[in-house]
Formats: sequence, structure tokens, C-alpha cells
Amino acid sequence: MSNPLEDMSKPDVIFCIGTNMTECHPVAATGIKKAVARGAKLIVADPRRIPLADMSDVFLPLRVGSDTALLGGMAHVIARDGLMDESFVAERTTGVPEFLEHIKQMTPEWAESITGVPAADIEQAARWYAQADRGAIYYTLGITEHICGVDNVQSLSNLALMTGNIGREGTGINPMRGQNNIQGAGDAGALPNNYPGFQSVIDPANQAKFEQAYGHAVDLEKGMTKVTALELCGDKIRAMLIDGENTVVTDPDRQHCEHALRSLDHLVVIDLFLTETAALADVVFPATAWAETDGVCTNTERRVQRLRAAVPPPGEAKPDWWIVSQIAKRCGIPGFEYESAKDVFNELCSLSPLYAGLDWDLIDEGRHHWPVPYKGHPGTPILHQDEFENGRGVFKLIDYRDPAETVDDQFPVWLTTGRRLQSYHSRTQTGRSAGIDYLLAEESLETHPDDVAAWGMADGDWCTMSSARGSVRIKIKATNRSPRGTVFCSFSFNDVPVNILTGSGYDPVTQTAELKVCPVRIEPIRDGVTAPS
Amino acid sequence: MSVIEDRTTAELQIDGETVVFSPVETLLAVARRHRREVPTLCYDPRLDPFGGCRLCVVELEGVRNPVASCARAAEPGMVVRTHGEALDKHRKTLLEMVCSENRQIDVEPLSGYASQELAELADRYQARTGRFQGRQSGKSKQDDDNPFILRDYDQCISCYRCVRVCAEQEGDYAISVKNRGFDTQITVEFDGLLKDSSCTFCGQCVQTCPTGALADRKALRAVDLPGEVVKTRTICTYCGVGCSVDALTKGDKLVGIQPAMDGPANQGALCIKGQYAFDFVQHEDRLSTPLMRGDDGELHPASWDDALDRAAQGFLDARDKHGRHSVYAVASGRAPHEAAYTTQRFIRAGFWTNHIDNCSRA
Amino acid sequence: MSTPTNAELVARWKAEPAPLLPLLHAFHDRDGHLSDEALREVSAALRMPLADLFGTVSFYHHFARFPPGASAPRVCTGPVCRLLGGEELLDAMRKHGATPMACAGRCDEPVPVLTAHDVHVGLAADALERRPSPLPVPNPGGLPECVFESIREPGRATLDGYRRSGGYEALSAALGGSPDAVIDALKDSGLAGRGGAGFPTGVKWRAVADETRGPKTIVCNADEGEPGCFKDRVLMDHDPHAVLEGMALAGFATGAATGFIYLRYEYPETHAILERAIAEAEAAGMLGDAIGGTTFAFRIHVRRGAGAYICGEEGSLLNSLEGKHPFPRERPPFPVSHGYDDLPTVVNNVETLASVPPIVRRGGDWYRGLGLGDHAGTKLISLSGDIERPGNYEVPIGLPLRTLLHDWAGGAPGGRLIQAVTMAGISGGFLAGDDLEVTLDEPSVRAAHSMLGAGGIMVFDDTRDMVAVAHSCMEFFAHESCGKCFPCRIGTQRLTERLATAAGAAGPAQLGDWRAEVEDIGAVMKATSACGLGMAAPLVTESLLRYWPERVAAHVASRAT
Repeated sequence: MSNPLEDMSKPDVIFCIGTNMTECHPVAATGIKKAVARGAKLIVADPRRIPLADMSDVFLPLRVGSDTALLGGMAHVIARDGLMDESFVAERTTGVPEFLEHIKQMTPEWAESITGVPAADIEQAARWYAQADRGAIYYTLGITEHICGVDNVQSLSNLALMTGNIGREGTGINPMRGQNNIQGAGDAGALPNNYPGFQSVIDPANQAKFEQAYGHAVDLEKGMTKVTALELCGDKIRAMLIDGENTVVTDPDRQHCEHALRSLDHLVVIDLFLTETAALADVVFPATAWAETDGVCTNTERRVQRLRAAVPPPGEAKPDWWIVSQIAKRCGIPGFEYESAKDVFNELCSLSPLYAGLDWDLIDEGRHHWPVPYKGHPGTPILHQDEFENGRGVFKLIDYRDPAETVDDQFPVWLTTGRRLQSYHSRTQTGRSAGIDYLLAEESLETHPDDVAAWGMADGDWCTMSSARGSVRIKIKATNRSPRGTVFCSFSFNDVPVNILTGSGYDPVTQTAELKVCPVRIEPIRDGVTAPS
Repeated sequence: MSVIEDRTTAELQIDGETVVFSPVETLLAVARRHRREVPTLCYDPRLDPFGGCRLCVVELEGVRNPVASCARAAEPGMVVRTHGEALDKHRKTLLEMVCSENRQIDVEPLSGYASQELAELADRYQARTGRFQGRQSGKSKQDDDNPFILRDYDQCISCYRCVRVCAEQEGDYAISVKNRGFDTQITVEFDGLLKDSSCTFCGQCVQTCPTGALADRKALRAVDLPGEVVKTRTICTYCGVGCSVDALTKGDKLVGIQPAMDGPANQGALCIKGQYAFDFVQHEDRLSTPLMRGDDGELHPASWDDALDRAAQGFLDARDKHGRHSVYAVASGRAPHEAAYTTQRFIRAGFWTNHIDNCSRA
Repeated sequence: MSTPTNAELVARWKAEPAPLLPLLHAFHDRDGHLSDEALREVSAALRMPLADLFGTVSFYHHFARFPPGASAPRVCTGPVCRLLGGEELLDAMRKHGATPMACAGRCDEPVPVLTAHDVHVGLAADALERRPSPLPVPNPGGLPECVFESIREPGRATLDGYRRSGGYEALSAALGGSPDAVIDALKDSGLAGRGGAGFPTGVKWRAVADETRGPKTIVCNADEGEPGCFKDRVLMDHDPHAVLEGMALAGFATGAATGFIYLRYEYPETHAILERAIAEAEAAGMLGDAIGGTTFAFRIHVRRGAGAYICGEEGSLLNSLEGKHPFPRERPPFPVSHGYDDLPTVVNNVETLASVPPIVRRGGDWYRGLGLGDHAGTKLISLSGDIERPGNYEVPIGLPLRTLLHDWAGGAPGGRLIQAVTMAGISGGFLAGDDLEVTLDEPSVRAAHSMLGAGGIMVFDDTRDMVAVAHSCMEFFAHESCGKCFPCRIGTQRLTERLATAAGAAGPAQLGDWRAEVEDIGAVMKATSACGLGMAAPLVTESLLRYWPERVAAHVASRAT
């Protein structure tokens, strides 16, 4: 996030797109609810009528995968109506003439033809956001899990740059991170292109720094992403270590994923449970869990915080860092003589400019947002206050692209996937917590009542849902939260392994999978047999 | 009276002591900052002042009746008394009156974060006198069988902290006040069950309740376990918001979660997952030893020595047979920094490759 | 006329100011009760959380949630109606689904029975009749009056009749001058809030006029809920334009363009009279846009309450108007700066506003001179109970109470002695014995540990059981306590229990313990309650103990057996 969580109650216009925040980041959503209670305007763009839409002032129910058209249409209106922040654009950005030329054709009527959102609502949203004293954008995986995920983010960036809604309190472009330490995994260098602290692996200065620190030559090329690695399992990739991830269930195209892991010569998994992924491993190590582990995590607002152990682990379970260090030692790799999580974290701080001002003791109360460039620095709650990372903010020229697969006669319905309030990911944790089943015992396919009727079914009936990659059985739930022609379910339940269906394409830059769009066919099951629709 | 115009350095008098206050402070905030023990029952610092319990009344020079300090903005030149015979008598009487409307005063500390407030005040003001006997207020909702929130309204004192925290802090507006006066009843839409209301089971009402009328049913499972409740401050394990929580333990058992009211990212807020979904930690399905795949194709328990050797050897074999770029690691977005950091060092320093990623692409 | 649909009701009110109460009334009027479906419609239309709406509806005793609802009769069992046989009438009508209601503001008539939009009065179920509000008798002292001066003129309630006796002259004249001139006249007059609080009206208007935030609002408090008070009803029924003109003058003086009349539910005929008067005034250009050909615009909306005494408290009233739960507000800030929608607002009682046009027309000195001695102006007194000629009287402030009771109103009927009177409706507790020598002004009445307040006086002759009267008064306070603050919510309940006559009723059996509990509760209620209700209620027990200690002792003893 460019701005801290406490800013979420401060904007006077809030634009939420592709984020089901009340279910996926409920505590963050309380800030938005406070702003709305104060009188802030709320714009919500989402294919589904999510709970956030119920409290919005304008709701933009766009067709799945049409975000760049919607955002291009908004940019067009802002430019057309003279609502740009001219001085911000002049002082802080570059590339505006080309950008303005590029969006000239993107009228709201054109955007309506692609998104299905009435042009008048697009204009209203654009005007409110542009005229805000403090306009803030919040997004999540509804923006990024597309083949055009980067285009979507850059389209949002264009809006913020046009209107100067960035670099100040209560503004910004704010992605919400989905896992407790997904930010920290990146901070710590678990990326194919970056060392710890997002230092590029192809920068010779950084290469020299880490060669010296680790006492070993470093690779001069970027590594491959996990998505590519899974493609090449059994081919170029032969041995894999997976820490705490149920890849088989949470990644797209489950059959492909399982096949990939089975093709490895050697798979080591570190986890809490014998997950579907761990079950494929050659060696499985028992890790200590949350509440058993001392350590550090970074939240979505770049706040660095301490995790503390409260109870002893079961049996012989060990912290992840200890397990990895022991494997490293037995591989003969020097430098893994850590005695505590504190040793590891302090080494990270010594190598990451973003953490240079931090150490284990300083983060005790979680007061710092990175970057913290030197000891005594108070941290950086708001990014881009004076200038952007590379100087000026650059307008990007984005064109609308269709999703990797679009609906047709064979697969006429859009499936979009996501999460639910009461469950988390593949339910390895929430599914094992007493009481959760009282509220959410099974998965169901949220479908517009008109579609349910048109497909000859009733609420609660079972159906077969198929894509080009496979099919699953799932129970139908009739609800107005889904628009006609689009269905929704989560991937949390192992008995409805919806990621068998997904995996139609990936963003070419980030290789993030298009989990939010998947054309499917729905057929009722009668007497245990799938009936052709 | 000299009025100081610059409010950033404004002063007032509390119990004869001249103190400095900031422009947005209430008299209660100023008094507590200066270590005055002003009692409250309807007050939660995260919520708008309400002025219901009237225990926080203080004497203000020039004003006939005592004023509710929680709802009174501090002003320059005020002369305030927080204690005295009359004030203490009023507070004791009020507490005796409140005690008279409940079934019991002492409640189990596992009930919730604030659950001991009434009992502590009753002791401090020696208000357990049995005076003011009469009808009791509030009626427990016994047919609500949800596994998280006990609705024992017999214990309710109508402070409305639950109503206000649900609206102001959580934004769910699930809880409301029915009827009026002594017939006041905390309820939800159409007097129904929480699961049929707009409740999201975040537990905020439980944690702010000062009498245990709303109580943490999951934590109360551990009532009979021996030992004191110990709190350990940590960060929630679920989404990326990073809410501060206190893990409640009795001996080696994790028995509950309470939000950290001073948590920098959450200011005491939590959601259903952070509040209630913790049983996985001590679940019987947890792995407790390493496992290795045997010749029979199945996974079997193994010693750490054997498992670590086997794991290391597999990576070395791949490197030796297929080159340094044949090894790959996926770090977790759920484990701490130290896991990701050691994993990337393992790959980069051990195998001379950048084949490391995390699970953020899915 | 066909029954309106949900959508039509919503469309009628959704965009209006302060829409919650009228929209709820629209559904209630159509269906006779507020169904779950109706609440869901209103919740969705006004984007109000369903739980809040459900809870808030339950606060108002005239909103029924189930049939027979509004079609079932409600019989007044207020303190005076109990003297008249209200409880017996209720019992007789229970077979028609009758339920009791608190004092309905007709203490100068037989027992009122409210059914939907109709009020009948009578003493027997088969002899109920509709009657207009009784006009005040000509001033028995022959003294000059202010608000009653022209009320007896024929046709005064119509625009023409009002104009024939000087109506709207004050507004027309004021529009030709400055807003400050209106405020100065009020300040000169010494007019102070006639709802009971007694705050100087000119000072209040000045404060609102000086506020820079807006838009500003004028609120007429017509929620005359105090038992024994029915003076505002007669003003609105027989001189509605005086109230409207007073509000318009307030709007002109302070810079407000919107006014609300918050009218109690139990006055349905008054509602119709006010709406008719507003329509007349708008048609004549005395309300609406460009009033009197100037740029001044002012509109008045009537909003009906739904049965909650606390809504006469200005903070609760404002919350009720805004559609919030009608708890009182913490003060400061006061409505002059943070009133309706948290913006500057004048809240004045009906009598206060009706006093304004004659003051503006005839000058502050004229009004000030109407009082006796140093006292300024007049006060309406609603007199009821054991008195020969009950009704409304406009008295000069400072008039001896005995003059009113005996010379003007004929004393107790049947030659009996007056044992006690209430003050401020029931909020001032009782006066008895030598304290009946007070004069009708706040300093004199307050010296006797009571208050003049809104001006309701109920009379009890020497046959009445004052413990039973005190119990019925405290029961009213407990019934109407909003539940916001601990001292009032618990205190009114505990005091009611201690005044109950049933053997074994809750409370100590020893007189000393009983007195200590009642006095401790009273002290904490007076000192710490969040609003006037809780502060006033213990005056009942306090005065009971002061005047009739032996009766109290006998009461406690009788319960112990």
C-alpha cells in the first residue's frame, strides 16, 4: 500500500475495485465503513454485488476481465471534463500528451459496450474520484489475477496521476495483501528477480554485495517464476523445496500442478499438516505453527511486526528457518549457523536498505513502516510524498484485451473465483477450527436466480461445472449477488476443487494466473447423472 | 480567570494540580493521563463518548451538577475535581444499583477482554451490599446456539458498548437496543439469531462487554483447565492486515484469542478468523515428526537425521546430474521472514541460482 | 383512493427532510402496524441498518408491530384520568383490545380514547364523543394577555380570521427591517423558554444568528408529553398561524429556511389543523419562497412523534427527527451550534413561538409589562384534577398560586380542601401545606424545592392517597425513561417498586432502610442523570417524604405484612 491502514477512514472519495474487502480484509474494511459513516463517497467496481456494493454510492458491475476498459473510460471523462490536477501532472509526471491522445477514443459509451456498466455511472464515478480532496484507490486480486493484471494496475496508476490522488494522507493506490506475510516473503528476497529489500539481481552492485555477504558466486540472471518452474518440472526443474503452501489446491489447473510435482526427482515440503501437496513429497518436515514461532512479519501497509511463541510445538516440530538451515548445512553450504530467529532477522536488516534502520529489538512494538533507511529513522507510512521511486510518475498507454478465454457456445458462463469471510485459502487452518462449520459448512456456486431457473434448476440442486480443463460437482445457490451469466465460488473446499477448472492464462509480466476469469458450462445433475443442458 | 488562547498549550486544574491538555481531549482523557482513577462502565476509548453510566462524573467549578467527564471537552481554565465525598458516594450508589440488576457480579475472565470491569469497580467502591433489590433487567437469549458468542443478557447492564462497537468500530450494525428504560434489551433484527443477522462474528461485542453478558464461548471451553490465563502478544496469522492479538494460554494449551486494544494496525479490531479460528494450532492432524517416502511408496515417520540427510542429498543429486538451475524453492507467504530469508539464501548461496519465488502469484 | 404500494410510500417520503418518522407513519397508517416487510422496505429506502430500525421502532409505544395495532383503542390512564375513572374505562374496553396509554394531554376533558387517527372522550365505553379542544375562558382576573389575547376571536384558526386580528403583521413588518431588530425586541421583552427550561429566547436566537455554519433549522417542540399539560394543544388548535408566524420570524431572525413542528402522536386533529394552516399560509405567500415579496424563504414540515415522552427533551427530539435512536444528547454542545444534523438550530416550545408575533408587533416593553412586579410577561397554566374549573389560563408571571386555584378556578369541587398540587406537570413533584402560598414564578416555586416548568398543575383534594399518586407518577417516569443513563433507568424502576403498595413488593421492610435507599437513589438521580427526566423524577419522592412522612411510614409498614 502507498498509504497506511489508518488512512482508510480519511478519504472523501474511496474507489474499491476488485476487492471483496469486507470478507477478505474485514478489519481494513472497518476503516472504509468509518469513512462512509462520516459521509465519504464510495465507488465500488466488481462483477458481483459484494457486500461493499451494498454500502456504495455508485456501483459499477463490470463484466469480468473488462477493468482496463472501465478505467480507460473514467480517464477519458476526467480529461474531457477538465478535471485533471494540472499542476501535479506538470510537476510530478511524464508522458501526458501521448496518454491524452491515447484515451481520446475511450469514451464512456465505448466502455459501456465492453463492461456493461452504464456510461452515466462511469461518468459519475470519474467525476467524484477526480474532484475528491482525498481520493483513494483500494484493490486486491480482482485486479491482479488476470492476464492483464499489470495493465489493470497501471490503469489505476494513470487515474491517480491524472488527479494527484497520491502521495498525501488519505489518498494513494493501495493493494491489500492477502496473506499475513506475503509482503514479508518479498521483503526477505524470496523472488526470482530481487534480493532481500527488492534489490535487483541483475544490478552488478547488488551482485557484488551479496557475493561478498554469502561468500559464494551469485547468479547473474533472473530466476524463473514459480509458474514457469511448474511448467518445467521433470524437465529443467528436478528438485523443489516448498515451504508452507498447498500448491496443488490453491494454484490454477490442479491436474497440471499435480502432474508437475509428481514429475520431480525430489520434492521436499515443510508444513503443519499432511496437505494434498505434502502427500506428493519425498520428505516432509513438521514446522512449528503460528503461536509456536518467534519471528517477524510485514503487513500490507509495510509495517514490520513481531510474532511471538505462546505454546510449545507438537512433538518434534521445528521452525522453518531451522529446518532450512539444517538442510543447507547438510548440503555443505556455509553461513547457516543461526541460533535464533533474531540472528536471521538481524542479518536480513544488515543486507536490506529498506530495513537498515531496524533490528529485532526495535520492532518490538511494530511502530515502523519500511523503508527505514537508517537507525533513528521513524519509518515511512506514506510512499511517494515528494517524488516517485524513479523520479516522475509515468503515464502508461493501455489497450483493452479480452481475457485468455471468452465465453462461447461450449462454455457460455463466466466463472470467477474468490474467498469467503469464514474460510481461509484451502481451509487447512479454518477448516480445523471448531465452530467455523456452523457458519460455512460447504461450498456452493453463487448463481443469479434467473439463470438457475433458465438452466432448469432450483436453489440447492447439484450441478456439474466444466471448463476446457476439467469438471467439478457443486451445489447451486441462487443469489442476486451474482449477475446474470456469471457464477462465483471459492477454492477453499477440497471437495469442490475448483482450480481443476482454472488456469486459462497468465499475465505476461508477473505470471499471475487469470484465476478471476474462466468460461464454464453448467449442467444439472439428475439422479446422480449429469444431464446435458 | 485568565483564558489561554493558544489551545496547544492550554491548561486546566485537576484536583488542585495545574495540567496541560491538547485541544481534542475530554476531561476523562486528561484525568486518566494524569493517573486519576475515574471509574467508567460505558466507556471504550475507541468509541464516541456516550455518557450512559455516569460513573465518570466530576465536579466542574461553576456548573451546578457534576458533569460526565467522558463527554465533556476540556477547556482552558476549567477547575475540575475528580474525587470527593459526594462524588464517591454517587459512584458507590450507582454501582450498588447496577449490581442489583444482575444475576452475579463475578464472571470468568475468559469471558472477554473487558469482562472484569464491573467486578473490579464493585470491589474498589465496596458496592457488593445487596441494596436496591428488585426486578432484574435483560433476558438471556438461550436459543442462540452459535459456537462463538454467548448471549447471557441476564448479565447485561445496558451500557450499549456492544451496540456501539458493532456500529462505530466494526461497521456491521448488527446489534441494537430494543424497548426502553428498565425494559431495555440488547438484540438484533427481529430478535433473531446472530447467524441470521448482519453479525460477522468478529467478537468485538464480546471483548468490550464489561460484565460477561456477551462472552467468548470458545475460550470458555477452557474454564476447567488448571492454571492461570497467560497472554502473549503476537500478530494474527490470517490476512495481510496484521492485527495485533493476545494469545491466551493455560499451561501448554492455546485457549483463546483477544484483540490487542493498542494494536497499531487494528486498534483492537479483529474478524472471525483472527478471533476464533485458532484450533488448527493444536489440532490432532498436526505433523509431529519428519516423514520420508519409503520403498513401498508411502510416507513413514523418520528421524530428523535421516530426513535431513535425505532432503539434502536430493538437492545435491539434482544439482550434480542436471546442473545448478535444476533446483527450485517456493517460500511461504504464511511463515515469518526468517523462513523466506533462509530459503532464498539456501538457493542463492547454495546452488548459485535465483530460482526462488513465493506463493504470491496464486 | 386505492391503497398505496410500498414503492409509492417510499417515493412520497424518501427525498423529504427528516423522512424516517413520516415514512414509518405512512406504513403504519396503511397497515395499522409495522410489519417485517415494512421495516425491510424502510431500511432499504433510507439505508438505515435493519437492526437499528427494529430497535428504534420498539422505542415508540404507538408503533405497533402486529395487528390489531392502531385500530385497537388506547385509553388514557394518566394521573388525572385515574381520578376520573380511566382505569375502569380501560377495563370496560379491554374486550375491544384496548390498552393503556400515558397522559394524552386532555386533562381538562373526560378520559380520552385514541383509535387510529381519532380521539374520543368520555367516561363510559358507550358514551364516547368527539369534541374540539375547549377554548380558554375569558381571563378571570380581567388581566391583559399575550398568547390568548385573540384566541377566542371567531375564525382565528383560519388565515383570514388570523389576519383580521393582526395576524402576519409582525412578519410583514419585520421583513421590512433587519433580523437584528426582531432579536432586540425579544431581548427587551424578557421572553424566556416556556417549555420549562426558561432560557432567554432572544439570547438563543442571537447565538444561532451569529453561527456561520448552516443550513440552520427552526424546530417547534410540540411534543407536549408532560402529564397535566395541554396548553400547546389549545394554541395549535385555535391559533395555529401564530405558531407558524413565530417560526417564520425565528427563521428570518436567525437565517434559517426550514422549520419542523415535532408534534406528539396523541394530537391527530391538531396535525390536520397545522397542515391546513401551512397550506393556507403558503398559498398566501406567508410561507414558502419569496415571502411577502422579499427574498426570504421559509418552509415548515410537521413531523409526528410516535409515543415517547423523552422526545420532548430537545436532544432526544433532534435525534428522533434525524431518525436516530431517541436518546438525549450530551450537552454541551448545545443545539444553537450543534442541533438538527449537527448544525445550528433554534428549538423552542409552541407557547414561546406563539408569543413572538405579538411581542414583535407591540414591542418588548409591552410584553415585559404584562408580568407582576419585576417579573416579565405571562405564562400559560394547564390546570386539572380536583378543581372546579379545569382548563388553560394565561397568568401574569408572579400571580399567587392561591389566586389561580381559588379566585380564578373555583377551588376544589364539593367544598373539599386542596391537599396538594403538582408543579411542572409532575416534574416538579408536589406542593402542599404552606408551600401552596407560592407565587407563579420560578424563583418562588424553586424556593419551595419545586419548579414551574411547562406550567401543568394537577390538583388533589384531601380525599386522595398521595402515596398512590406518587406511585402513578413514578410509574410514568419509569415507563418513559429512555434507558440511556444508569441512574434514571435503574432509579425510576427501583423507586416505582418502593412506592408499590402490594405486600412483599421489592424494597426494604424497615422504614430507615427504605428511606435511605429512596434518598440515595434520589440524590444520585438528581446529581448525575443525563437529562431532565432523571433529575426531576426524584422530586416526587422527595416531596412525598417532606409533606407526608406518616403516610410513608404506614405505607412501608403495610408492605411488610
